[in-house]
Parts: sequence; structure tokens; C-alpha cells
Amino acid sequence: MTYLAVAYIGMLFGIGIWTWTVFARSKDLEQRIHAIEQIHIDGEE
Amino acid sequence: MIQRETTVGRTMSKRGAEGILLLGFFGIGLTLGLAFLKAPSVSINAFESPDAQRIFYWHVPAAWAAFIAFGFLFVGSAMWFFKRSNLGWRMHVAGAEAGLATGLMTVWSGMVWGAAEWGVPWDWTDVRLNTFGLLTFLALFLVLGRQSQPDGVETRDTFSTFGLYGFVLVPVTYVATRLWQIRHPGPVVGGGDGGSLAGEMAVILLVGAISFTIFIIGHILMSMRITSLEQRLERIQKSMDKV
Repeated sequence: MTYLAVAYIGMLFGIGIWTWTVFARSKDLEQRIHAIEQIHIDGEE
Repeated sequence: MIQRETTVGRTMSKRGAEGILLLGFFGIGLTLGLAFLKAPSVSINAFESPDAQRIFYWHVPAAWAAFIAFGFLFVGSAMWFFKRSNLGWRMHVAGAEAGLATGLMTVWSGMVWGAAEWGVPWDWTDVRLNTFGLLTFLALFLVLGRQSQPDGVETRDTFSTFGLYGFVLVPVTYVATRLWQIRHPGPVVGGGDGGSLAGEMAVILLVGAISFTIFIIGHILMSMRITSLEQRLERIQKSMDKV
């Protein structure tokens, strides 16, 4: 049962990391786009 | 005004995808709890390792989610290859990433069970194990290949061709235990005689299947959004380079 619990929780942990990377990638891209657009707007002004 | 509506629409679709993903994650956590705490024990005589059988509540829904992901990969590949659809390419990318993750989950959970029940984590003579393993390798190739190549029509054509041909493995994997039952157990739902489940087991399996479906749809939507953002960033950078 311990062996099974470790395998199961390990899988949940792995899925958690994958899900977190998806959120992090999305946030990172949004921030980069926002930063570039801001530079573009500032440049035009 | 139009700009504001577009921004509001993007925020809503982002919130929707995130909400679906988190709901699915909560559901698969719940499935884990139910599998451990609520699922009835199986007969000691029927299995070498009865406790390991609980992994089935994770393994089967993960495989189901993998087939949904590979379905997206196939449809997306066809849409790109025949229609040059950008939406199709985003579906291809999302399907490959989701197929890799759920494929690895299925393979890993199956190997844990195989090690406990059979004494070996993998049986090279079993058709279903090998076709499913190949599908997961295909998804790995598509994910790594896309990241290592510059985006362009030729790259997309090459990978979508693999996505189209690779899908042949899905029906082969699905019928493998019916045609060549070597070591992998046969179907437990819709498999005819001897393939039915006790009520409580069926309910937990259903919770798992619904949760994994919601989870993988959330991941696919988020992944499609990420590809869209990557493309938008590239367009902005190109337009700025021209200035």
C-alpha cells in the first residue's frame, strides 16, 4: 500500500507540476506581450 | 471600444480555460481519494496484488483522456494539412502536448500495476502495451520536434503528417485486447460477458472519467491559448523589427 501511495501521489505531483507550468507559460507570455506593446506605445508618444 | 471588447473576450476565455483546468484537477484529486478510501477491495484470489488494482481508477481514465488528446491531434493535423487552418495547428500542438502528458500517466500507472501484479513493469509481447507506447513516443517526437524547429509551413506539414498517420495506432490500441489478448486485461466497460463492474467501482471510475475529461479539455484550451500568444508575440516582434 505504501508503494502504491507513493506512485499515486507522485503522479498527482507530476500532473500538478505540468498544470503549474501551463499557468506559468501563459502568464509569462502575457507579460512579455504587454511589455513589448508598452514599449511600442511609449515609442510612438 | 472594439479593442476593449476583444480584451474582455480574451480575459473571459482565459478565465474559462483556467476554471475548467482547475475543476478537472480537483476532480482527479477526488478520484485519487475515492480510489484509496472508498473503492471496495477486490478478491485476494483474483489478483496477485489486490491493493495495486486501485491504480485502475487512475489508469483507465488517463488512457481515455489520452485518446481524447490524440483525437484533437488528428483533427488538428487534418485541419492544418488540408485547410491550412491556424486553429487546426493550435489543436495539433495542444493535442500533442496533452497526448504526451496523459500517455505518460497511462504508461507510468500501468507499469506500477504491472510490476506489482505481473512481476515485470512491461511485457514486450503484448500488443496493446506496445502500440500505446508507440503513440506516447509519437507525441514526444511531435512536442520535442516542434520546439527544436523554426515555425513554418514545411515544419507544420511534416508534423501534421506524422499526426495523421500516427492516429492509425489509436483504433489498433483500442481493439488490441479484443483481438490479441496476451497479457493486458480485457475491457471492463462495454466489453460484453465478464466485463461488468460492481456499482461502487463503476461510480468511482465514472467520476475519474469525467474528471480526466474536464482536466484534459482545460489543458487543451490553455495550450491552444499559449500557442496563440506565442504567435501574437512573434507577429509583434516581426512588426517591430520592420520599424
